[in-house]
Amino acid sequence: MENFAYVNAANVEQASSLLSGEWGETMVIAGGTDLLGELKEYVETPAKVVNLKTISGLDEIKADATGLTIGALATVGDIAAHPTIQEDYTVLAEAAASVASPQIRNVGTLGGNLCQRPRCWYYRNAEIICLKKGGDMCYAVEGLSKYHAIFGGGPVYIVHPSDTAPALIALGATVKIIGPDGEKTMPLEEFFILPDINPQRENVLEPNEVVAEVHVPKPSANTKSFYIKARERGSFDFALSSVAAALEMNGSTCGGASIVLGGVAPIPWRSKEAEAALNGVRITEAVAKRAGSEAVKHAEPLNDNGYKVALTQNLVSRAVMKAS
Amino acid sequence: MSEKKEYKVIGTRPIRHDGVDKVTGRALYGADFQTTGLLHGKVLRSRHAHARIKSIDTSRAEAHPDVKAVVTAADLPTAADKIADLGESAVNLKYLCDNILASDKALYTGHAVAALAASDPHTAEEALELIDVEYEVLPPVLEVREAMEDDAPLLHENLKTDAMGEKSEESSNVASHFQHKKGDIDTGFAEADVVIEHDFVTGTVHQGYIEPHNATALYNPDGQLTIWCSTQGAFAVRQQVSEILQIPVSKVKVVPMEIGGGFGGKISVYLEPVAALLSKKSGRPVKVLMNRAEVFEATGPTPASYIRVKMGVTNDGRITAAEGYLAFEAGAYPGSPVGAGAMCIFSPYNIPNGLIDGYDVVVNKPKSNAYRAPGATNAEFAAETVVDEICEKLGMDPLEFRILNGAEEGVSRIDGPVFPRIGCIEATEAAKEHPHYEAPLEGENRGRGVASGFWFNVGLKSSVAINVNPDGTISLVEGSTDIGGTRASIAMQAAEVLGIPAESVYPTVVDTNSVGYTDVTGGSRTAFATGYAAYEAAQDVKQQMTERAAKLWEVDAAEVQFADGDFVCVNGKDERMSFKELAARLDEVGGPVTGRASVDPTGVGGAFATHIVDVEVDPDTGKVEILRYTATQDAGKAVHPSYVEGQMQGGVTQGIGWALNEEYIYDKDGRMSNASFLDYRMPTCLDLPMIDTVIVEVPNPGHPYGVRGVGEVPIVPPPAAIANAIYRAIGVRMKELPMSPGRILKTMGKL
Repeated sequence: MENFAYVNAANVEQASSLLSGEWGETMVIAGGTDLLGELKEYVETPAKVVNLKTISGLDEIKADATGLTIGALATVGDIAAHPTIQEDYTVLAEAAASVASPQIRNVGTLGGNLCQRPRCWYYRNAEIICLKKGGDMCYAVEGLSKYHAIFGGGPVYIVHPSDTAPALIALGATVKIIGPDGEKTMPLEEFFILPDINPQRENVLEPNEVVAEVHVPKPSANTKSFYIKARERGSFDFALSSVAAALEMNGSTCGGASIVLGGVAPIPWRSKEAEAALNGVRITEAVAKRAGSEAVKHAEPLNDNGYKVALTQNLVSRAVMKAS
Repeated sequence: MSEKKEYKVIGTRPIRHDGVDKVTGRALYGADFQTTGLLHGKVLRSRHAHARIKSIDTSRAEAHPDVKAVVTAADLPTAADKIADLGESAVNLKYLCDNILASDKALYTGHAVAALAASDPHTAEEALELIDVEYEVLPPVLEVREAMEDDAPLLHENLKTDAMGEKSEESSNVASHFQHKKGDIDTGFAEADVVIEHDFVTGTVHQGYIEPHNATALYNPDGQLTIWCSTQGAFAVRQQVSEILQIPVSKVKVVPMEIGGGFGGKISVYLEPVAALLSKKSGRPVKVLMNRAEVFEATGPTPASYIRVKMGVTNDGRITAAEGYLAFEAGAYPGSPVGAGAMCIFSPYNIPNGLIDGYDVVVNKPKSNAYRAPGATNAEFAAETVVDEICEKLGMDPLEFRILNGAEEGVSRIDGPVFPRIGCIEATEAAKEHPHYEAPLEGENRGRGVASGFWFNVGLKSSVAINVNPDGTISLVEGSTDIGGTRASIAMQAAEVLGIPAESVYPTVVDTNSVGYTDVTGGSRTAFATGYAAYEAAQDVKQQMTERAAKLWEVDAAEVQFADGDFVCVNGKDERMSFKELAARLDEVGGPVTGRASVDPTGVGGAFATHIVDVEVDPDTGKVEILRYTATQDAGKAVHPSYVEGQMQGGVTQGIGWALNEEYIYDKDGRMSNASFLDYRMPTCLDLPMIDTVIVEVPNPGHPYGVRGVGEVPIVPPPAAIANAIYRAIGVRMKELPMSPGRILKTMGKL
């Protein structure tokens, strides 16, 4: 890794002020589970790294009658183990519990999980200057695309690696961002951006903005939510495809469905098609099957990831049946 | 040797001698080595899979104030084209040298091209950028069948095929083609009622040891070279370094550090000669460590292969003929384990007519190396899947089929050797009798599969010295790296002879100047051969102690016997002393007693295993879950049953990883895309059930306690057993490894 200056931040505003307005010059570190790999492999070579772990209070998880507020420094492990989250925000607890390994969950933070960079093997290879790194092509198109996108791809075909993001979007979370112009709050769904907007980034953050916290409105008492993740091994693995589902159930009829897919698109992929097949409908096996096929009807697989279409279709159907 | 013997120490489960050091983190591994004035080396590696090296300019790196030495292939003595005897595998020295530091061509991504030493590792890493290499990039060839094509890019312009002793005219990527024949293959197939033929593909997989390669070298001005490293064989390192650097073995001392896994991958040297050259140039000790990506890209995985198997049987279930075609990727230089694969592929069976063709083929991947029963897992994945289909066609129980056709004493393998007493049928019977085999397996998409495996094991040379301590303990000095608990199993064999507890033995693995020649820990030989040496050395001690007792009692040595741990006078005198009592009195009768033995035992006992596995395949995701696993194996005699069980479980675990997820993924330019433990998916504990083990003991007549090697054969059956279980679960034959979710969905026709 290249040498860099290491600066401790006392608060989020100061962290923002320590960051450059240009990408690549400075980076923030919290758990460091993703960043250190990038630095060691020369994928990123910042001159300065700003440590957020010295900001007190930013790791709090607060639950009240209106909802849940999670500081960006809360660890993924703390979220997974939080009794209220397990009870009322099940999809989030399940998604957090499925992240990586216990060691990584113990240090990895929510902010880091939302902002982590893709695991694409072309992006991660410092010798390859792909579109995501300012080059002129996405190597997955002609190359090895086993783990790449079937939705929303083009011109870059990475998949967003976060497990917590689909869960939070399914629950209608908002995110608070602090930057040089103060703070702003937006739906988490709008935080993530497709590569046709900016092929080099996965979200709207400017280089000197920092994610401060996430707020999740309390789901209605009759909401069933859960996270299903397909991966190649039982732990320490990213989703080949995952489904974060939150369904408001009136008896066996679905009052409103949120279906957000992970591991299949450059952003957490909201499946409006699957939701439309469920809203106001009595859930049966046939409905679940239809939701699955609706979910993938616009899928565009690359050479090696056709299996993700069948996989995603089956996972959506399974998720719907789980809610019934 | 067939009768059951009573032992006091053999077969018990004492705590391992190195246990405390390891669980407390005190054990010193290669990377822990420190010394005054230490420099840190880094290796510059080719980022091209196939390229001619036009020039290397090291001047900018040499000008760096903190860089103390830079080396390239030009610093290696010109290698004569001769064969170095490395024990388990013969290595062509030119190729060996080129693999250490590429001279004319870089042949795989990660191939070492130059190295430097600097005052700290970070400076060394940064300074690599100051070495300028000009390449002419060439098209790579990355797959064995493509490499065999006539118009394939050639790795070595001078490589001619050694086709059954004849050298080809044309250059080729096929380094060798050999053939084994038994009986008459045409007659055999003519006699068959059912013939099944399939072809199979396996991926490149790595041993996945936790500890990366490491070496520290100090090249003194007097020409004396000391190397500290983690290796499966200190003498093998000494031999290779001596050959590569063209210096006598007496000038090289190799000090083995504790080893964090090897599985065959820590036999060849990579860093040791580089560290030595850097030390010679800088005049200071130099330590070189690999990171994980280097371990994946630049050490010796076990190769991908293409295998075709054809087998014929009669309607009553007798095998009449078997034919195998094995093409293995050697990697950048000749020497794949295809030979061993050919020795194992059909060996669990008595087959009257056989034909095996083996091809060793170079491709632009790292030079392959041994990995736990190298070659056998690839080969028996193919053969055991065909056997399963035959059993299905015949409507025959697959274990009954294996018992009916099982290899036994007097049967010859297709490659020639005649089996001595073996436990092939016994291990299969143990599987058939295990409650697992008859247990109900309910639920959809579940299936039970079985497979057998063979590994021949090796003997080779081992030396042991034993020093008797006055407190009645012994110090046992050995040259065998302890990877799988062999300090314990070797110590126990000496303890058994001397009638003392295992805890009274203090085993130490020492450097190459401090013990007699000992071959590598490999081929499942250590408990067998070094154990044999310990047995013989203990016999030597016993003999000398008998003479000392006689001297003490002033009787003839013939009048003293050793029984049940006591020396006893048998001439009427009422004299009796324990080993411990006599040890305390040695100084009265001549001083210390040291026993020693060097052995090269030939009575190697091959190992057989049969495994049963239950799987559930998720038809929606293609994910295979291992529900239950039982492994049976003939251990001859399990010296320390816990470590035999551990070897069996470890082999199964690696076999499951190989079967389901592990593979090197190369892009079209020959870059490995998944050179990390995150992206190269070895199984975690959540991917494994409790692995049940059954030790079968058919004593090996070639060893005083009947020991057979146990470490390797348990990796052989898992891929085939799992493939057969998947078939029984969902009706799909998997013929390509790994059987990952995407591949299963595809084979199921769901895409």
